Amino acid sequence: MPEPALRLVGIEKHYGSTPAVAGIDLAVSEGEFVTLLGPSGCGKTTTLALVAGFFPATAGEIYLKGKPVADLPSFRRDIGVVFQDYALFPHMTAAQNVAFGLKMRKVPAPEMAKRVADALDLVQLNGLGERRPLQMSGGQRQRVALARALVINPTVLLLDEPLSNLDLKLREEMRVEIVGIQRRLGITTVFVTHDQSEALVMSDRIAVMNAGRIEQIGDPADIYERPATRFVAEFIGRMNLIAGVVTADRRVRTSGGVELPADVPQDLPAGAAVHIAVRPERARLVRERPAQALALQATVRQVFYLGATREVRLDLAGGERGVVETPNDGTAPNYAAGDVVWLTASIGDCRILAAR
Amino acid sequence: MNGRRAFARWRATAAPWALLRAFVIFVYVFSLGPILITAAVSFNASNRSFFPPRGFSLRWWERAVAPEWMDSLLFSLKLGSLTALLGTLLALPLAFALYRYRFRGRQALLALTLGPLMMPTLVTGVGLLQLLQSLGWREYLGFTGLLIGHVVICMPFAVRTVSVSLQTLPPNLELAAASLGANRLATMRHVVFPLIKTGLMAGAVFAFIHSFTDVNLSIFLARPGETPITVKILGFLEFGFAPTLAAVSVITLLLPLVLVAIVQRVSGLGDFLYGERNRA
Repeated sequence: MPEPALRLVGIEKHYGSTPAVAGIDLAVSEGEFVTLLGPSGCGKTTTLALVAGFFPATAGEIYLKGKPVADLPSFRRDIGVVFQDYALFPHMTAAQNVAFGLKMRKVPAPEMAKRVADALDLVQLNGLGERRPLQMSGGQRQRVALARALVINPTVLLLDEPLSNLDLKLREEMRVEIVGIQRRLGITTVFVTHDQSEALVMSDRIAVMNAGRIEQIGDPADIYERPATRFVAEFIGRMNLIAGVVTADRRVRTSGGVELPADVPQDLPAGAAVHIAVRPERARLVRERPAQALALQATVRQVFYLGATREVRLDLAGGERGVVETPNDGTAPNYAAGDVVWLTASIGDCRILAAR
Repeated sequence: MNGRRAFARWRATAAPWALLRAFVIFVYVFSLGPILITAAVSFNASNRSFFPPRGFSLRWWERAVAPEWMDSLLFSLKLGSLTALLGTLLALPLAFALYRYRFRGRQALLALTLGPLMMPTLVTGVGLLQLLQSLGWREYLGFTGLLIGHVVICMPFAVRTVSVSLQTLPPNLELAAASLGANRLATMRHVVFPLIKTGLMAGAVFAFIHSFTDVNLSIFLARPGETPITVKILGFLEFGFAPTLAAVSVITLLLPLVLVAIVQRVSGLGDFLYGERNRA
């Protein structure tokens, strides 16, 4: 197996006695786009800053192309960083900003001019090199920041929530564009965001972080369809969680007494409190008691019309709340508040997660 | 009825302007008035300080530019320039330490640095005089003693302006420079320094002016032949306010003004000196 472009081994960062990063192991292969996804305060930006070398890690080692760099200062690590606020040098033009890294590497002037022009071309800013950051729009600044980080051909490109300061439309354009550039250059990239849809659209793999650790790592479909923990299930998309207990014969019994022959993970012993997790778009509603294994009686509380779908909010018989998305395809029946219905899903669409 | 409405309209529209105008006139009369009177007095033909001046003559100006006064003026210029230079050089690392880092003793250092700003300079002067005497460093009275004292009382201005510009630096610039391969020195030279340059200049100008106009501290540390112009003027005042003094005062007044105007022209200091924000 080839050496990964970036490898973190047991990385920790403590502030006093509180760990901001509590032990991260992560390998990013050459050319891969990996996203660190999590709520604010989960340690994702700290992890990125540790890779960048902005402050020392409390424990652990970081390898760039197999070379340990944890003790190297930032300026000797050969990384490209795009900051949330872009951090462009306000006293320099766009071209001078892009040239900065090359100047520090003492690249000869003719080559420097060419590489700066190419980089500005790459981010579609040709002709704007003489502008100063203050004369540019948010999207243009973003592009300058990207060009500045890319022009030095770094081992790893680090992106710290680079889209969060842009308006929605521009953000969606830049997603596509950044991924396009990343694929074209084949540059190894670590992207930090708290925006799940950004993560799903852009990443080869997503590492979902919580409280300084990686909860789960996998490709977007893995993370969305096979969440490993309740945290991941709830952080990405929406999830119906129905409390239950593992029985002696490896089934799950809900508080309402429904027994489900589910796929209970090996590490959950009999008697363990669990949740049956079903995505709203995988659950269905029927009027008559279904033959399927998961069948929960419910009362419709509210119905939201969303155009392509309807969102039906439910009060389950066990006292829990549920939500089902029904497609507005002309076949699904309409429900109204107060209707008594059954929520059902196939066994394959139910995940069993430790309640914790 | 009509009258009341007219009054209400006047109060809403014209009154604020009338008030502002009165205020501006007040400011002009009391800040420019004394200067104009002094300038006028210096052209008296009489040997007493009449205002309005009686007759016109340049003889007081002739006396004012005699070496007796010019030496002191040059001395003050030299002292002020060196104070500004040293004060700013010291202020740069101090401002960095005080406003970038949290460390034990920071509060104490902050109080020590900015303290002289709040203390009467008279007290600092007396204290420094006694210190120099008790150390047996009487020979350092005069230029060296004055320089020490002036740096102490002028540096806080530079620390303030430098730290203001440090605080307006966007937070990630230095990290960005580091990620692009710039070591601490290169980051300082290419990124930090160009962006805090105006703060440094402003600090130097403030320090210079404060040094140039100081009399409270200088009066204790000066010695014959090494006397700043302010102390010289004060000494001369014992013999009454002669028109010579008026001429000397005008020169002493114009000199820093001209200097500030030049510095401002070449470095765009306006925002710092006048609190305007025309930078980004």
